[in-house]
Amino acid sequence: MRIGVRLAALALAAALAATGCSAAEEEPARSEPVAGGVAALPRPAPTGLALRPVPAGVPAAPAVAGRLTDGSAVELARLWADRPVVLVFFSSWCAACEQRQDALSQLARDHADRVVFVGVAGEDKPADVQRFLRAHRVDYPVLLDDDGRVALSYAVREPPAVVLVGRGGKLLRGWTGGVDASTLDARLRELVLAG
Amino acid sequence: MRRLWVALCLAPVLAGGAAGCGSDAEETRSATTVRVLVRDINIRPVGVDCAGTGPYTHFHNRAPFRVEDGGGATLAEGALSGGRSVPAFEEDLEVAKVPTYCEFRMPVQLARRDAYRLVVDGRAPIPLTANDSEGPALVAVVPS
Repeated sequence: MRIGVRLAALALAAALAATGCSAAEEEPARSEPVAGGVAALPRPAPTGLALRPVPAGVPAAPAVAGRLTDGSAVELARLWADRPVVLVFFSSWCAACEQRQDALSQLARDHADRVVFVGVAGEDKPADVQRFLRAHRVDYPVLLDDDGRVALSYAVREPPAVVLVGRGGKLLRGWTGGVDASTLDARLRELVLAG
Repeated sequence: MRRLWVALCLAPVLAGGAAGCGSDAEETRSATTVRVLVRDINIRPVGVDCAGTGPYTHFHNRAPFRVEDGGGATLAEGALSGGRSVPAFEEDLEVAKVPTYCEFRMPVQLARRDAYRLVVDGRAPIPLTANDSEGPALVAVVPS
């Protein structure tokens, strides 16, 4: 009888696992720092950072403000005051974003402090964003664009999209549908980074 | 031994029932595809991953959906897979990105009902219409 009860319990557990009904989603451990939060903001720009001059007649980028993943406030204008900014519009459910993110994360590390990358997560859930940021080693700050205001400001209709803003807030380039890291790297060297 | 046999047989049923994953197991269900065409007229290449844009941003990969009957009873549920961009009109504009819609296809098993509706991410139900032009399917166009 005992064996029978144990076997039945095992069968029940197996059935529950098979239906996926008992598999609660794992949340990030509470002790882990929030990815994309204030700790991800850049250090001061290096002294003597060599940048290319911004061409005349370039339109201004929308100087929006928002909240990072940990709730701290951020103003884009403060970030682009002394160096270029790359805005990476993404969603954790976006397959194309996922495919390109590892390389973009590495590119951001390669240009750390010289170019500020800022993620903008839209139509997403904070827990899913955290999983995405950890899975793809995103070290830069990330705005939670819950109401889509930032995306709307930049006329971004769906992820992925990338926008390059020059020092001082000039709108240099935009890529609807996103851009691969090697192309973005080439444009950074061509348009903003000198030397 | 007979009790053990009963317990083993009941376990999967209990598991499914407890999670609300499968009631009406005795009702015949047939495979069909739910197709939703989101007419957002966004500029994209044809044949790439897409999500709904503008007022339809809740149509995206992993968004929860359910198919219900005319009375609101859930018949099937799941998550959307990524959409695929389709041309908004058949004309060669000779450019890489053209006006497109975003189409979603979800395979489901459905019991026979007089009417079906699709609910995506808890929004207002969208009427589904039978269309067998590409195999058994229930289709919706947004906005209709």
